[in-house]
Amino acid sequence: MVNKLGQMKIQQMIFMVLAVGLLFLLVGLIFLSVAFRNLKESATNLAEKDSMLLVSKLANSPEFSCGNAFGTSRINCVDFDKLMALKENIEKYSSFWRVAKIEIRKIVPSSEVECKKENYPNCGVIKVLDLQVDSLTSSSVFISLCRKEVNEFGFYDKCELARLVVAAEDKT
Amino acid sequence: MKLKIKNKRGQIEIPFTWLFAIIVGIVIVFIAIYSSSRLVDVGQKTTNVQTGKEIQVLLNPLETSFQSAQTTSITIPSETRINNKCEDFENFGRQGIQLDQKNLGKWSNTETSTWTNNRYIFSDNITEGKKFYIFSKQFNFPFKIADLIYLTSANEEYCFKDAPQEIIEEISILKQENLYFENCPQESITVCFESGPCNISVDYSRGYVKKGTDFLYFAGLDDDSTALMYAAIFSDKSIYECQIKRLSVRLKTLSKLYLDKEDYLSEKGCETNLQSDLIDLSQAEIQNSEGFQSLQENVNIMNENNDGRICSLW
Repeated sequence: MVNKLGQMKIQQMIFMVLAVGLLFLLVGLIFLSVAFRNLKESATNLAEKDSMLLVSKLANSPEFSCGNAFGTSRINCVDFDKLMALKENIEKYSSFWRVAKIEIRKIVPSSEVECKKENYPNCGVIKVLDLQVDSLTSSSVFISLCRKEVNEFGFYDKCELARLVVAAEDKT
Repeated sequence: MKLKIKNKRGQIEIPFTWLFAIIVGIVIVFIAIYSSSRLVDVGQKTTNVQTGKEIQVLLNPLETSFQSAQTTSITIPSETRINNKCEDFENFGRQGIQLDQKNLGKWSNTETSTWTNNRYIFSDNITEGKKFYIFSKQFNFPFKIADLIYLTSANEEYCFKDAPQEIIEEISILKQENLYFENCPQESITVCFESGPCNISVDYSRGYVKKGTDFLYFAGLDDDSTALMYAAIFSDKSIYECQIKRLSVRLKTLSKLYLDKEDYLSEKGCETNLQSDLIDLSQAEIQNSEGFQSLQENVNIMNENNDGRICSLW
């Protein structure tokens, strides 16, 4: 009788220990899932903030900017000729800016025709980079898209209003 | 429950349930202490990585402006070591930041770095402090290659002796509190532009910075070769040479872009006559800063040929 009572108590104790263990495990899992959700959120926020700040930086980076090619240095001025050259050599830059998409859309004059070597400059959308992955909300900045043009009086600079759009990769 | 302490022979006798409960209790307490210490450790590392990423994000605006040079500061609440990581393999190489913070007198050991490919940070391998100064400057050779970022700790003060007027003017505009020209603090790192007992010697005309036995060569356009000079002053040789290799790759890739741009201009009938120079530049073999400096003469000629043209490439 004493033996059976002892066994009962041990069983009770084991159940109790298991219950306490499971409780701790559950609390731990809830805590970790909350912590990781916060971490993911802050990673996403940082990626969005990065792409928002990157978009202004990108327009002035050497691969995009006009430099002094159209007179003096201008902020947010993108060289259309250089951009087409970049589009053709983009595989080398695929992970350089660590973004999912870089696109330039002419606003004035507006056009949905994608720019290729054959139809350049009579087009409106330049898809510089598209990694075909899930992307976060895109950020954009207004730019002047400049190129050299020629008419009966000689060469002149032609600048059009456009929008540079950048989207970061969604890694969540 | 009554605890039997002694049996008939005087031996200590504890009931099995008590013994079991004590052992399980000890195990649970041990697991709780271990997992909480691991959680604190992981939390610290997460904070370090997050702060590293935030610093990388904050550097973006520094590379946007057209100002000749601009400065900013970052203050981190606890004592921090910023480890500058530079890798020159794979395409453009990459720039990493790894942060270790002091917690209860002990440095955390974060193995994770945050990486970017499009940034060039010049600093010592490890920069330690709570307040950090960051300034950036555009590097043109002959066209814009990148914005270089210089990172120093407020704990390190630099004393520029006999610096040329243009450098005094440029640094004075920055108003960076750890850079001095006169009334230098005693413990400051001396940077001499003429002979003298100094920590760092700069030969501005020949284009090199001497640190102990190390020579770090710099180059730039005729009117401004200070971008790489500051880089050589503020960084360790290993970081400097690694960043130079990364900049060389970008220089060569940009040369190819300008070559292709020239094709577009030629189609419009606008010739630039820079094709052969750009081909040479895109194929240049650059192993170190000395090799980079050897391009200086050609680059200056290219810049002269590009300047003032109707169809200038950059």
